[in-house]
Amino acid sequence: MTATALPPFWSLVEAHGDELLAHARRVAGPEHAEDVLQDAFLRALRAYPRLRHADHLRAWLYRVTTTAAIDAHRGRPREQPVAEPPAVGVHDDVNPDGAFEALIAPLPETAREPLRLRFVEDLDYDHIAGRLGCSTQAARQRVSTAVRTLRERHAV
Amino acid sequence: MSPLPQTLLEAVASAAVREGLADAVFTRLSTPIGRLLVVQGPNGIVRVGFEEEPEDALLAGVAAALGPRVVASDREMADTRDAISAYLEGGDGPLDLPVDLGLVHAPFRRAVLETLHDTVRRGEVVTYGALASRSGRPKAHRAAASACARNPVPIVVPCHRVLPGSGGIGNYGGGAERKRVLLELEGAL
Repeated sequence: MTATALPPFWSLVEAHGDELLAHARRVAGPEHAEDVLQDAFLRALRAYPRLRHADHLRAWLYRVTTTAAIDAHRGRPREQPVAEPPAVGVHDDVNPDGAFEALIAPLPETAREPLRLRFVEDLDYDHIAGRLGCSTQAARQRVSTAVRTLRERHAV
Repeated sequence: MSPLPQTLLEAVASAAVREGLADAVFTRLSTPIGRLLVVQGPNGIVRVGFEEEPEDALLAGVAAALGPRVVASDREMADTRDAISAYLEGGDGPLDLPVDLGLVHAPFRRAVLETLHDTVRRGEVVTYGALASRSGRPKAHRAAASACARNPVPIVVPCHRVLPGSGGIGNYGGGAERKRVLLELEGAL
């Protein structure tokens, strides 16, 4: 066996599972953390044999978990409107534990705003462009850059 | 930091098996002869480890041979666990589990272990020389002994039933005391 052989997948799960669950709670909120982590482990398993080296596997699992949290958030149906929709506080309504705000807190406001418009308000790029006062193409670019920044931020 | 719930781990492992993502599945099992690590590959049990064997190295060996997607699941291994537990707790049936000798590369060693698995039943014993003969090389009793010493699936491939022609109980990968316990369990001593 060479020094770069991939370790048995479950050794990683047993070594880092607890801290990954804590990470999933931070990025997805306590109620979604276990589903997100389960999804993340399966994504990681699918990709595992194709990894080209065995370096930074812990950081890689953090990144996969963050991505699973973002995708889960994106795909989750928006909550049913209550009888009296609040005029403000839409962020709290969609994500009562504020996990999303906590997730994006380290980013500059220029990255946070596109992320909120896309993932919290669930707007399409035309509407995001309108809110940001830029072209649709530029709105798409700003969301994509912000997601990448977020992933890099949580890959450490 | 709260620990990962067992239910989550089982759900991941079951989904992995269902989706064909697992190269091997393992389980840890408490028995009267100590904790065993049992690893199942696509065609049967590939590895059984006694508690003295370092788990990391054992699983790394499996990963190197079968692939790195090694997962743990008591649920997916439930039938195997039940069969081994019943056997070691004194049940009187044979231990009839599918075996995969994929970790044995030398052809003669593999032939010896196949012969042993197929022909030496519970309650019987055989000498290294007789086992070598049955495997097609009557003079190769040393090679037969070496095959048994390096058996990756002890208990299931019953190398404890192979004794030296000169008498006595002989050696065993899991220690001579375990060999004696297994043979007494089977009524062979």
